Amino acid sequence: MAELLQVQHLKKYFANQKAVDDISFSVEEGSIFGLLGPNGAGKTTLIRMITGIFYPDAGQITFQGKPFDPIHDVRHIGYMPEERGLYKKMKIGEHALYLAQLKGLSRSDAMRQVKIWFERLEMESWWNKKVEDLSKGMSQKLQFVSTVLHEPRLIILDEPFSGLDPVNSNLIKDEIHRLAKNGSTIIFSTHRMEQVEEICQQIILVNRGQKILDGTVNSIKQQYKQSQYRIGIPALNEAHLAEAPFELIQSKENEQIARIADGKSSNDVLRFLIDRSIPVHSFVEILPSLNDIFIRLVEDTPVTRQFQPA
Amino acid sequence: MYKTFIIIQREYLTRVRKKTFIISTLLFPILYVGLIFGMGFLAENSKQNLNIALIDQSGYFKQVDLDRENTLDPSSKISLVTERATDVLKDPEAAGYDGFIRLPKLDWRQGSDQIFIEAKKSYGSGTTATVEAKLNRIWNRIKNDSLSIDENKQVILQASQLSIRSKNMDDASSNANIAEVIGYVAGLLIYLILLIYGSQVMMGVMEEKTNRIAEVLVSSVRPFQMMMGKIIGIGLVALTQFLLWIGFVLIVYNVSKASGESMSAATVMVGKMQQVFTGINVPLILFCFGFYFLGGFFFYSSLYAAIGSAVNEDLREAQSLSFPITMLVIISIALMSTATANPTGPIAVWASIIPFSSPIVMMARIPYGVPGTVPWWQLGLSMVMLVIGFLGTVWFAGKIYRTGILMYGKKPTWGEMLKWVFRKS
Repeated sequence: MAELLQVQHLKKYFANQKAVDDISFSVEEGSIFGLLGPNGAGKTTLIRMITGIFYPDAGQITFQGKPFDPIHDVRHIGYMPEERGLYKKMKIGEHALYLAQLKGLSRSDAMRQVKIWFERLEMESWWNKKVEDLSKGMSQKLQFVSTVLHEPRLIILDEPFSGLDPVNSNLIKDEIHRLAKNGSTIIFSTHRMEQVEEICQQIILVNRGQKILDGTVNSIKQQYKQSQYRIGIPALNEAHLAEAPFELIQSKENEQIARIADGKSSNDVLRFLIDRSIPVHSFVEILPSLNDIFIRLVEDTPVTRQFQPA
Repeated sequence: MYKTFIIIQREYLTRVRKKTFIISTLLFPILYVGLIFGMGFLAENSKQNLNIALIDQSGYFKQVDLDRENTLDPSSKISLVTERATDVLKDPEAAGYDGFIRLPKLDWRQGSDQIFIEAKKSYGSGTTATVEAKLNRIWNRIKNDSLSIDENKQVILQASQLSIRSKNMDDASSNANIAEVIGYVAGLLIYLILLIYGSQVMMGVMEEKTNRIAEVLVSSVRPFQMMMGKIIGIGLVALTQFLLWIGFVLIVYNVSKASGESMSAATVMVGKMQQVFTGINVPLILFCFGFYFLGGFFFYSSLYAAIGSAVNEDLREAQSLSFPITMLVIISIALMSTATANPTGPIAVWASIIPFSSPIVMMARIPYGVPGTVPWWQLGLSMVMLVIGFLGTVWFAGKIYRTGILMYGKKPTWGEMLKWVFRKS
C-alpha cells in the first residue's frame, strides 16, 4: 500500500522546550495509525504541524506524495483536537454546515454530507436543537461528524473517546473502522494505551519530543516480550521447581506464571511437564501490554507515573 | 476568500438575528427621543410655582405691573406686601409665601446687586432667573419712564443689537454652532461604536477560545482569516445598526414634514434639521463618517481581538489587558473637546492626523468646513495615516492572535505579546 503521509526529521522548538525533536515516521494509506505518548510528549505539536497550524522549524512533511501545502491540503484532512468545542448558541444542523463550509465545501455539498451523516448516526431529529442543549456524548458525536463529513483522506483524532460512555465509544470505534475500510487513513492520538491495542495496526510512541518506538502492535509486543507464559497446572513441589527450565513469577492454585530460562524454549517447558506427568490444562504466552512496554522504556522519567495502573 | 466570507456571514447573521440586536436597535432611538422630550417635559414641570412676597422699600413697584407680569409668566407669582411685612420677614411660609424679596431703598439710576430671594430653602439659578427677568422688565419700564423714553424708542433700544459669530473665509456656509453640535455628535458616535463593538470583538474571540472551538477552526482556516472574518462581520453589524438609525431619522423627518403643523415639536425639529443640512456639506460628512468609522473600527477592534485571543475566560484579565486601549479611546474623546473648542489649534490638527485619535477628532473638525477649517492636505494625510495605522494594528494583532488563540494557561503580559509579534513563525 502507498504511503499517504511521510514525516521526516520534523522539529519544532519553543522557547523553553524541544516540543518535537527530530521525529520521522510514515503512515500507510487506509491504515489506522496510533500516535502514543504521555501528556506533554509533543503529540499535539506534531499534529498541529501535520494539520498546517504550525510551521515546522525543520524537517519535511509529504502528503499524498507531494510536499505538504497547508492551504490546499487541509481540505483533505479532518482534525478533531483534544481541546474541542462548539458555538453554544448555534443550531446543530447549522453548526455542522458551517464547519463543512469552512473546509471548503459548497453549501449544497455540505448540506448533502451533513444529511448523510446525521442519518447514519441517528442525529436527524437534532437539527434545530441548540448546541448548549446537547449532552457531552451528543456533542462529541457532532464533533466527530464535523471532522469526517468532508470525506478527508486523512483523519486525525486526538483522544476521541475522552468523556464518552461505552455505547458511544463503540459507535465511534465502529465508524473509525468503517472509514478505514473505505480508504480513509486515520491517525489516532492518545495516551490510553489499551485503546490503541484494539484499534491500531501501526503505532509510534513519543516521549519528550522524541520517537522511542515504531512498528506494528504485534511486532512491538514480540520485540518486547519477556518469555512469560501462563500455564494451567497445579502448584509445583520443591523438587520439580529446582530442575524446571523456568522460574515461577506468580503461583496460584491451578495457574502458574513462569519465565522460561535463557536458552530454553516453550517446547522444553512442555516436555518437562509432560515427562513428569503434570496435567497441563492450558499454555499461553503472555505478551506485554503496550502500557508495560512504555513504562519499561521511560522508566526513569517522571512521566511514567501517569501510566502506572491506578 | 470563500472561507473568510463564510465566517463573516456567520458572525453577521448570528448577531443580527439576536433579540438583543433588534431590541437595542429599536430602543436606542426611542430612548434618545424619549430623553429629549422627557427632559423638556421635566424641565417644564419641574419649574416651581413660586409665591414670592415683594417688600418694596424703594417704592418703585406697583401691584398692577406685577399682576401683568404674573399672568404673562405663571411660573411664579410676585405680590407686593405692605401690611404684615414683619410677619412675612419672620416666617414667610406661615404667611403663605415661599419666600420674600426685600428691595432696599435705591436709586433707579444705579440698581442693586444685593437683592435676594430669602426663603427657608435654596432655589436654583433657573428659578431665580425667571423672577429676576420679571422684575427687570418692570424695572426697565421704570427707567424708561424716568428717562422719558417712549414705546417706539424702547423697541429700538431693545431690538438694535450687535451680534457676533465666527465665519470662515473659505467656507461661506459654515456655521460654527451647528458645526460644533454635528462634530460633537459624530465624534461621540464613533467613540461609542469603538468601545461597544470593539469589546464585542474581544468577547467574541474570547468565546471562541474558551469554548475551545478555536482549536477546531484553525485546522480549517488560517487564524488571520478567523480574525478578519470576525472583525468584518461585527463591523457590518455596527454598520447595519447605523443604517437602520439613519433610516429611522429619515422616516421621522419625512413623516413630520408631511404632517406639517399638527406635530409642533416635530416641525420645529424638521425646521432645525433643514437649517442644519443647508449649512453644511452633508455628502462629505457622511463619506468621512463612513471612512473614519470603518478605519477606527479596524484600528481598535483588531487590537481588541488580539487581547481577546491572549486571555483566558477571566473577564477581569481581559479588562486589565485592554485598559491601555480603552484609555486611547477615552483620550481621543478628551482631545475631541479641545478640538471642538478650537478646531484649528495645534492639538486639534495633530490629534486629527495621528491614527489612534483621528477617527474621533477629525470627525469633530470636519463639520467646521473642508477646506476652510480642515485643509485638504490634513484630511488626506489623516486618511492615509489611518489606513497605514489600521494595516499596522491588523498585522500586529494577527501575530498575537495566531499564537494567543491556541495558548492556554497564564495570562500573558504585554511584553510577552510583543515577543509573539516579532518572532518568526
